[in-house]
Amino acid sequence: MKKLTVRAERCTGCKRCEIACIEEHSGAKSYGTSVKETPAPKTRIFVEPVGNRPLPLVCRHCQDALCVSACMAGCMQKDPVTGVVTNTGHEQKCVGCWMCVMACPYGVINMSLDSAGTAQAVFAQAVKCDLCPKRGTPACVEACPNEVLGVEEIEEGVYQ
Amino acid sequence: MDFRTCRSAPFDELSEAMHMAAVGDGMETIYERFSKQQPQCAFGSMGICCTLCTDGPCQITRKAQRGVCGASADLIVTRNLLFKCAQGTAANVYHARNVARTLKAVGEGKADYEIKDEAKLRAVAQSFGINANAPLKTAAKEFGAFFIDQINSNDYDPMELVRALAPKKRLAVWEKLGIVPGGPNSEVATALSKSMTNVNNDVTDLLLHCLRLGIANEYAGLFGITTMQEILTGTASPNEGPVNLGVLDPDSVNIIMHGHQPLLAIKVLEAAGEKKWQDAAKKAGALSGLKIYGSLCEGQQIFNIASQYKDVFFGQIGNWIQQELVIATGAVDVLAFDYNCVMPTLSEEFAPKYHTKLISTDKVIRHSGVERLEFEPEKAKEIAERIIEEAIKAFGKRGAVNIPKIKHNAVAGFTTESVVSALGGSVQPLIDAIKNGSVKGIAAIVGCTTVREFQSGRHIAGLAEELIKRDILVIGAGCCSSAMQNNGLMSADSAKKAGKGLSSVCGALGVPPCLSYGSCTDIGKIIATAVAIAEALGVDVPDLPVVASAPEYMEQKAVADAFTAVAFGLTVHLTPAPPILGSPNVVKILTEDVEGLTGGRLFVEPDTGKAADAIEAHIMKKRKALGIKG
Repeated sequence: MKKLTVRAERCTGCKRCEIACIEEHSGAKSYGTSVKETPAPKTRIFVEPVGNRPLPLVCRHCQDALCVSACMAGCMQKDPVTGVVTNTGHEQKCVGCWMCVMACPYGVINMSLDSAGTAQAVFAQAVKCDLCPKRGTPACVEACPNEVLGVEEIEEGVYQ
Repeated sequence: MDFRTCRSAPFDELSEAMHMAAVGDGMETIYERFSKQQPQCAFGSMGICCTLCTDGPCQITRKAQRGVCGASADLIVTRNLLFKCAQGTAANVYHARNVARTLKAVGEGKADYEIKDEAKLRAVAQSFGINANAPLKTAAKEFGAFFIDQINSNDYDPMELVRALAPKKRLAVWEKLGIVPGGPNSEVATALSKSMTNVNNDVTDLLLHCLRLGIANEYAGLFGITTMQEILTGTASPNEGPVNLGVLDPDSVNIIMHGHQPLLAIKVLEAAGEKKWQDAAKKAGALSGLKIYGSLCEGQQIFNIASQYKDVFFGQIGNWIQQELVIATGAVDVLAFDYNCVMPTLSEEFAPKYHTKLISTDKVIRHSGVERLEFEPEKAKEIAERIIEEAIKAFGKRGAVNIPKIKHNAVAGFTTESVVSALGGSVQPLIDAIKNGSVKGIAAIVGCTTVREFQSGRHIAGLAEELIKRDILVIGAGCCSSAMQNNGLMSADSAKKAGKGLSSVCGALGVPPCLSYGSCTDIGKIIATAVAIAEALGVDVPDLPVVASAPEYMEQKAVADAFTAVAFGLTVHLTPAPPILGSPNVVKILTEDVEGLTGGRLFVEPDTGKAADAIEAHIMKKRKALGIKG
């Protein structure tokens, strides 16, 4: 299956990957206009400061994914063919319990929340990396100016 | 030191207490905003992000060694640096122009200011052919007008200020390099033209232009500001006063004068001394009347001359990072600010929360919703009284007051003249102390404080303490002075923290081992002191056992000042690293090659101990070259 690779020492913290991720998962496919969409598109890759260095945090699409086990509605699933862990296609079942967010050991599941001006959440959905199924190379990998992010094909369950 | 913990909190205990209180009140301060900005993009911090044209923004990356226009990393870094240097020069010159305008108005009899330092005015006026026997007012008018003309002169004619005032040895070096500047406004405009898209790709020429701006910054900016302000406000003299957030009195109407230009502040101080205003404050319920405080560089300038205003000036609040914290005490009735170092959150978040009335007093600074009482030399007194009136009104609207209980003192008010008079009339005793090794050398620790890396003052106080232990005399200016004052390095008893030699010299002269020269614009005075010592020794500035250091440099004026120091041949320690690391060539030019041209250079060292080692090594090298015993 496809996996994202990270050469953390090259990361400059420019966050172009976050912007590319937001664009790819927005209706407008453009950062400038996508921020006005409802619900606002959220990044699924996170550049965080770790020990005074930027570090891109990416989904590992785990073999025994804890987010899948934690999902009570059954929308988070691991595709048996591609190996991609995603709730795409089953999002409507998401109740916004955020157990996947709690369970993820890498902290890479984001919460898309829209209260539409009311006190109650009218839209609540977990969003996470889906390895950009509509593109050959994930958007973040293409956007990375310093070749920090890469994608490689690995055989699942085999440690290299 | 645990890096992560020191990032998230201020350094001195009073700021720490007020920070916790502000956070407890639900406020977001500069510390929280800094954390939220992490990580910050390294393309910007290395200077290899160019946003000039719409073909960009371009960054120099592993994939792309040139921007769309073809600019290399060297060119992008240099253009970005030249911008910053031009902006800093422009700001200092703007300040100088305001002072010159006031001096001219005083000379014309339109502004109600005394000429407090007649000898200084006569001396500078005479260097430019203004008749020494002319009436004092005429000399003020002519020198003010001459200075404004110099600011507006063209860059194709070398500035007379430089020709007349520069030490001969320096002038020869600058002439050889072709960097004697013309009028600063014209130089800034040329710098901006040179750094436009597709104009100049000669990195050396652009960097030499930075040095030209540095020299213009000194003479048309720093020198002018210091000299003309001292003519109007009186020359600094050593005095002891309270410092840091604990100085505020809960029982008085409190006015803070914040910013960089002290001319309005002295009018406020004069008015505050009048009985009618003190009575009005007491009538409003303030038991201890009306008190005026200084904040950041404006405060340092008032502190320098505070012996004139003992009954109304009650202390120096602190450095620029403390401005939100001081409002959070709830005890500030009016904060009047002029240009530079005023956070947008003061008017948008802090003043509404804590009752403080903000007043802006300079035309370049505008905060929406904030009352403007813009300084005009002719209307200074009227504005000062309005400020006091507003403060008395605001006093009645106070909510909870929370002032840290700790109080401490510091000594300020040093300048070339006051150092010379402390030394008994000449720089000779200092030279003797340097020669016999009880003072190894001098380090000027100047400039801003930053929340990056060492959290507002940690690096400054750490470095100063390390240097005085090694018998190196420290001169502070700007927010660095505040950081040293807040950490007890400028108090009368701080000599005990110094090494044996330095502490005996300080004991004999009755001065602290870290001398405050005042605001960041008083860096010009430090250069004047260095020039005075060099001339007394008959050598050039680069030969002196002197180092300049900006250990927490933050904004553009500091970039211009760094180039001023390099043009004068000083070795300059800078931290954090300026945005030049994306170009190894520019780094090499500024840290090595330039030494062969002006005698000065930059070096970056974020570790306090290693920085002190490097400064000491440089001083020892220069001592040896001068033939003074190690």
